Amino acid sequence: MTDLSHIRNFSIIAHIDHGKSTLADRFIQFCGGLEDREMAEQVLDSMDLERERGITIKAQSVTLKYQSKDGREYELNFIDTPGHVDFSYEVSRSLKACEGALLVVDAGQGVEAQSVANCYTALEQGLTVLPILNKMDLPQAEPDRVKQEIEDIIGIDASEAVPCSAKSGMGVEDVLEALIRIIPPPVGNVEDPLQALIIDSWFDNYLGVVSLVRVIHGTVRKGEKMLVKSTGKSHIIDKVGYFNPKPTTVPELKAGEVGFIVSGIKDITGAPVGDTLTHAHTPNVAQLEGFKKVKPQVYAGLFPISAEDYNAFRDALEKLTLNDASLFFEPENSDALGFGFRCGFLGMLHMEIIQERLEREYDIDLITTAPTVVYEVLMLDGEVRYVENPSRLPELGSIEEMREPIVEANILVPQEHLGNVIKLCEERRGRQTNMQFMANQVQLTYELPMSEVVLDFFDRLKSVSRGFASLDYHFQRFEAANLVRLDILINGDRVDSLALIVHREHAFSRGRQVIEKMRELIPRQMFDVALQAAIGNQVISRQTVKALRKNVTAKCYGGDISRKKKLLQKQKEGKKRMKQVGNVEVPQEAFLAVLRVDD
Amino acid sequence: MTSNGITAPPLGLYLHTPWCVRKCPYCDFNSHTAPVELPETAYLEALLADLDADLPWLPQQPVTTLFIGGGTPSLMSPDFYRRLFKGLGERLDLSQLGEVTLEANPGTFEQDRFSAYRALGINRLSLGIQSFQDPQLKALGRIHDSANAHQAIAAAQRAGFERINLDLMHGLPGQTPEQAVADLQAALAYDTGHVSWYQLTLEPNTAFYSSPPPLPVEDQLVDIQDAGRDLLLAAGLQNYEISAWSKPGQASQHNLNYWQFGDYLALGAGAHGKVTLPASAPDNILRYWKTRQPEAYLQRIGSRTAGRQGITTGDLPLEFMMNALRLQDGVPSKLFSERTGLPLSAIMGILNDLVQEQLLEPMEKRQRLAPTEKGHRFLNDVLERFMV
Repeated sequence: MTDLSHIRNFSIIAHIDHGKSTLADRFIQFCGGLEDREMAEQVLDSMDLERERGITIKAQSVTLKYQSKDGREYELNFIDTPGHVDFSYEVSRSLKACEGALLVVDAGQGVEAQSVANCYTALEQGLTVLPILNKMDLPQAEPDRVKQEIEDIIGIDASEAVPCSAKSGMGVEDVLEALIRIIPPPVGNVEDPLQALIIDSWFDNYLGVVSLVRVIHGTVRKGEKMLVKSTGKSHIIDKVGYFNPKPTTVPELKAGEVGFIVSGIKDITGAPVGDTLTHAHTPNVAQLEGFKKVKPQVYAGLFPISAEDYNAFRDALEKLTLNDASLFFEPENSDALGFGFRCGFLGMLHMEIIQERLEREYDIDLITTAPTVVYEVLMLDGEVRYVENPSRLPELGSIEEMREPIVEANILVPQEHLGNVIKLCEERRGRQTNMQFMANQVQLTYELPMSEVVLDFFDRLKSVSRGFASLDYHFQRFEAANLVRLDILINGDRVDSLALIVHREHAFSRGRQVIEKMRELIPRQMFDVALQAAIGNQVISRQTVKALRKNVTAKCYGGDISRKKKLLQKQKEGKKRMKQVGNVEVPQEAFLAVLRVDD
Repeated sequence: MTSNGITAPPLGLYLHTPWCVRKCPYCDFNSHTAPVELPETAYLEALLADLDADLPWLPQQPVTTLFIGGGTPSLMSPDFYRRLFKGLGERLDLSQLGEVTLEANPGTFEQDRFSAYRALGINRLSLGIQSFQDPQLKALGRIHDSANAHQAIAAAQRAGFERINLDLMHGLPGQTPEQAVADLQAALAYDTGHVSWYQLTLEPNTAFYSSPPPLPVEDQLVDIQDAGRDLLLAAGLQNYEISAWSKPGQASQHNLNYWQFGDYLALGAGAHGKVTLPASAPDNILRYWKTRQPEAYLQRIGSRTAGRQGITTGDLPLEFMMNALRLQDGVPSKLFSERTGLPLSAIMGILNDLVQEQLLEPMEKRQRLAPTEKGHRFLNDVLERFMV
């Protein structure tokens, strides 16, 4: 084996707001990766969206040269991980390329559930976890309590936890020193045939497909012919390099290192994430264990407002799936909304981000239908079907049993908010399976219907706990439930894209709430708009959006044209986010009325 | 005919006087508080210098209608108009001038001038009555009262005006259908042949817009309109445009020309014009407008034109329809091509959709582009279809 003792590959596990991006920025600054003037806040979050929302969506990497106190120069490869519950899949991907992880915990707030989950993923993958106590400059920092929490809740030794303040810069060097001392160097052989893992691939308009790789064995150089194992296709390598954080080309990447490869792959499926790369002349190199394929948890129909955008929409989705293997889509044809796609997401935040990226980066105006989970349906003939679109639910008469997905949710909450959180879980049909009092926090375990969790549970949880409760959940099983399809009718016509699957006990109230909300959200039109909720042929709720009686400008003379035109422009702008269903203009919000019934 | 198939449209002249005794809180026209002494001579000289400077590029056609609006044109003395008409006659072909309208405020001091105005050739008076009820007039910030209004109409009739328009507003703060009907009845009693009956709307950049009065809700507004419509129809008036009602033959020719997408010259502070030039220029159908501030208008030298802009091919259908479809009976279908130079086929898809939705009358029957009754009520929805 080659001596790789100067390399450290690591990730940072942290809850949103616990200071991961700030700490990463400090590392970059400390190691001289960027001039001060180049240090835009949080350089690693390169997508505008990431910076605006303060979260990390895509794995990114940066290679830093660190001059240690022991006199050696180290190469530190930091691979970023997302910090939101929706993106746990991306986390496991980043961790695959590392030997260690820094667990960054806010020394005032303590451990939260998502970090616990990610920490376990890291430990399962054999990573060394080094706890860091951040925000030590704040008066409410309680390092001893938080150390105890780390040991109680996660069960790792926190005695060597490094105190620091990413914000002030205090202790940053200590963190780097501890990192090279505690996290082991990679193991690999430069002389072996090339074996590299694709951590991430994305499409660049100028370069084509760019892949972020971790070289396990061997060396990869510009000009060589590489083989993508799963596709069996060979490509000449145009560029190799690393991010420091600016992309910097180098002649080669060696075993243990992390960097990027550009090879003129134009087809976005040409470099699948989790795949193995080798040289064309060594096709028998073993395929590395890739990433677990994750299944989307939430499905929704996305339809372009203008039918002309359909092809552009499909292209955009294809491009997005290159970077985001967790995004699923297949064509969907709705009677009401025309041609679009049924898309699967990791969660609501994932859905919102994809939707925003489609609109912002690809300039496509979309209507999104209410998100739904996947239901398991046992047919009378014994067939088991999975239904991720309420309008595709088979005839009730042909169904033996309907089953809904149940998740196990782990919640960490400070004691003073425990009551509120339990109340919320009960409202959402939860069953408590465990409750443990840790240092200051309580660890709650609930079984909850996934449909009650994925939509707005996280937001509600945050709001009933003043932001302190944290959540991690995973799918457990399907369980028989008394479910019905709630149909929504507009002017007597069933609108397929508005159908919902709901628990029978909630059907009446839910139907009434949705219809009431829609009545508020659908603007008045030239005619009455009748809204109905129905189960089968039984109408359970009814409302009317009264017709406007007129819409005309009282005065318009020779000098008024430009002002009156502006009014019309405003009127038209307002309809940009509306979709014509039959002859009724339905705004985006009305399709998501079910999400807003608690308002 | 110009070379691109556009027939030169009839030409009107809009002349703006920008001063009022006081600005009304609902008014978004270019009006300014009048100085103690109105600079009549200076304004006259500015108007004529402005016209002189623009004449070389303006269409050389007879002017068929003249409309003097404001502001309050009746603040200007008969002598101002005598000199103005003389000046205009020296510069424009007024041989075919028919309708000459002056907007007047129904105040006492104006009434004394009506005969003099009439003698100068002004043959149509448009009186800003707004309401015959003192509390409403007060709420609207008007400087006249109900008695003034009655006297003014009588004075105009005595002065020999055979064509008088009464401007009335409805949908006033706290107004009931009965009050609105009472206003109309008072107006109809004078049998003037023309009533402009507007719904009060809150326009941006007005006092009402920033602190809105309590206006009737939509259902009340429609009740007011229904009641008013019945009364006006019973009195033998036709609703020839959204807010304009007239006896046969009494429609405002000047305004009809706007709504038929005709041409009009602009003169005076803040006035807007629209003219059709020979087809050699790409922007041959253009709008132009004058400096708004009275002071600036007075001080500038030569042309007071502040901007001119061609109506783009994309905007032409919308701008044509914004006018033409205001008319209850619409316009002949062929007028679209005559005025815009575009073939009707360019908008046939939209027209067919609108006919389908019963917003536009079927065209085959009468070869007219005309809204249905429903299309008229929802004109803004109709017009939106023509937007690019």
